[in-house]
Amino acid sequence: MRIAQEERAAYLAAGRSAMEAGPSWLKLGRHEALESFFRAGFPGREEAWKYTSLTALEKRRLHSPAPGAEFLPDSLPAGHLLTYGNGYALSRSTSLPEGMLGRLDVALAHTTLPAAARFGTLAGRESALVALDTALWREGVVLHVPAQWRVDEPIFIVRTIDEDGAMVHERSLIVLEPGARATVVELCNGRGDYWRNAATEIFVGARAHLSYVKLVEDGAAAIHTGALFARQEQDSRLDVLSLALGGQLTRQDIALDLAGAGAGATLNGCFLAGGRSHVDHHTRIEHTAAHTQSREAFRGIAAGRGRGVFDGLIVVRPGAQKADARQSSRNLLLSPLAEIDAKPQLEIYADDVKCSHGATVGRLDESQVFYLRSRGIGDVQARAMLTHAFALEACAAIAPGTLRDWLTQRLDGALDRLVEEGRK
Amino acid sequence: MLEITDLHVAVDGKPILKGVDLSVQAGEVHAVMGPNGSGKSTLAHVIAGRPGYAVTAGEIRYLGQDLIGQTPEERARAGIFLAFQYPVEIPGVANIQLLKSALNQVRRARGETELDAMDFLDYVQSRLGLVGMKEELLYRAVNEGFSGGEKKRNEILQMAVLEPRLAILDETDSGLDIDALKAVADGVNALRGPQRAMVLVTHYQRLLNYIRPDRVHVLADGRMVKSGGPELALELEERGYGWLEAAPEARRARA
Repeated sequence: MRIAQEERAAYLAAGRSAMEAGPSWLKLGRHEALESFFRAGFPGREEAWKYTSLTALEKRRLHSPAPGAEFLPDSLPAGHLLTYGNGYALSRSTSLPEGMLGRLDVALAHTTLPAAARFGTLAGRESALVALDTALWREGVVLHVPAQWRVDEPIFIVRTIDEDGAMVHERSLIVLEPGARATVVELCNGRGDYWRNAATEIFVGARAHLSYVKLVEDGAAAIHTGALFARQEQDSRLDVLSLALGGQLTRQDIALDLAGAGAGATLNGCFLAGGRSHVDHHTRIEHTAAHTQSREAFRGIAAGRGRGVFDGLIVVRPGAQKADARQSSRNLLLSPLAEIDAKPQLEIYADDVKCSHGATVGRLDESQVFYLRSRGIGDVQARAMLTHAFALEACAAIAPGTLRDWLTQRLDGALDRLVEEGRK
Repeated sequence: MLEITDLHVAVDGKPILKGVDLSVQAGEVHAVMGPNGSGKSTLAHVIAGRPGYAVTAGEIRYLGQDLIGQTPEERARAGIFLAFQYPVEIPGVANIQLLKSALNQVRRARGETELDAMDFLDYVQSRLGLVGMKEELLYRAVNEGFSGGEKKRNEILQMAVLEPRLAILDETDSGLDIDALKAVADGVNALRGPQRAMVLVTHYQRLLNYIRPDRVHVLADGRMVKSGGPELALELEERGYGWLEAAPEARRARA
């Protein structure tokens, strides 16, 4: 629905300082994007938003916040670190040069930087939320890894929001040139009833390899709408892990394009929905080129009156012969009022392909529970063990090591709280 | 050690056990034999406390305690172990993790301290040899992708680690080739002792070539129709079960 005239002023006011900075092409793009958001309004009627309503968002009085405070999670592994508070860059702790890892607005002011040319080419205006993000993002993050470079330690981008009623639009641009390697973790945390709207564009060059983790630990009253777009060139590899462990309403749209022959991707996720929270993942993997491979595995766990949605589409384009795609969505309900909807979809336009998908929604297997109990393990502990085992399969694609151990700890901690809630 | 008196059990409202008596003393090995559908597995599972198996009459006493109403974990911690006919696969839970959690629960119940990681590993490795199991299976998910023989050895390994007072082995011989059968039997024999009782539930006499029972019972249509010494097993091997199921005097004798 179109945004009414009287409300438009509020967005213009919120975005003024962000929209008036930067080169003129960027400013023009921002204004056009805002117009396109005004025309389209918040999504609601379309099929992709059937299960998820943003009416709570439309009712909130939102404002653009002042810079907030940094909040780092416990025992964050060693690595490169950028922190953001309410959308403003706070600290930067890395040995990488500013041109490789830094603020996106600074990078775009120098249009000669190679990453700048990619900006906005994947995150278009088809989505009103992405258009609004394009109009109003500030500072942002850019990672540009030159050809054959390896960034060994993980890059952590910690984005904290700590103001009630805050509206923060985040933007990331990640470019790996041919043969480059990197691991990026975007961590979203905070407190208050803010709205976080994020868009990330990822370009993986030929033979490059990117591991990308989005770890959502938003506050219990937060709304988070996120969009991730990735394009992969020949023989590149991309591993995406989406862990949605917090927030009132979380919607993640993830679109991967296997554009180069031989490109391979894994897209794994685990979401926890407790209380009255709502977590929705919409994923789209396009096999555009031949000999491309994708593996997608999502695990969902809901307790209380939690609600989960998984909508996963795999498209195999006519040129993508010998494409190989597998998708699975397995979901666990820990309480009678919890609900998860899983909708796997395949669209295949090539004839020589291997594709499979499967989705399940159910409860713990009582024969497994009895087996553990018959070994002396208590009912509560047995169920917790099985629930953890179920969720942790999502982390299997991350290389064993400090990062995986830490992610596993984050997931374990959130899961303990959810299992506890499921028992009530 | 185990005293079962006039036990009636229904599953999904359907009577399966219709008055079973069984008395097993410490140090004894008993075999419960019988045709398919006679209620053997139900008897094994009801002793372990499987939910959904309703005891409608009778008693199960273990070491003088009434078992009915106790949870499966309480029974396990008190020293009861069930080796499953179909060991359950548990993806994502490492075998060693199951062993460690289970052993620590059982040790705590026995008033012993939990083992630290090194002592625990030493202890488990010492038990691996008993069942001829490869160490790498400790680090795989419980029973996931195990062969039939590996699953059964894994059951005996768990038994060897937990050191139960009363072990119920449900069709542990089914689906095993002769080498696996021998390995399992060796493990069981090594665990025989004056303080421990075992009940072997089996369809075939074959296992009893390797594990000599003190007593043999025949279960048919939910009742114990005959008991005897080890020679009864050989007689069953020769004559089958038909003559017992058909014998009306056997049923009257129980009534």
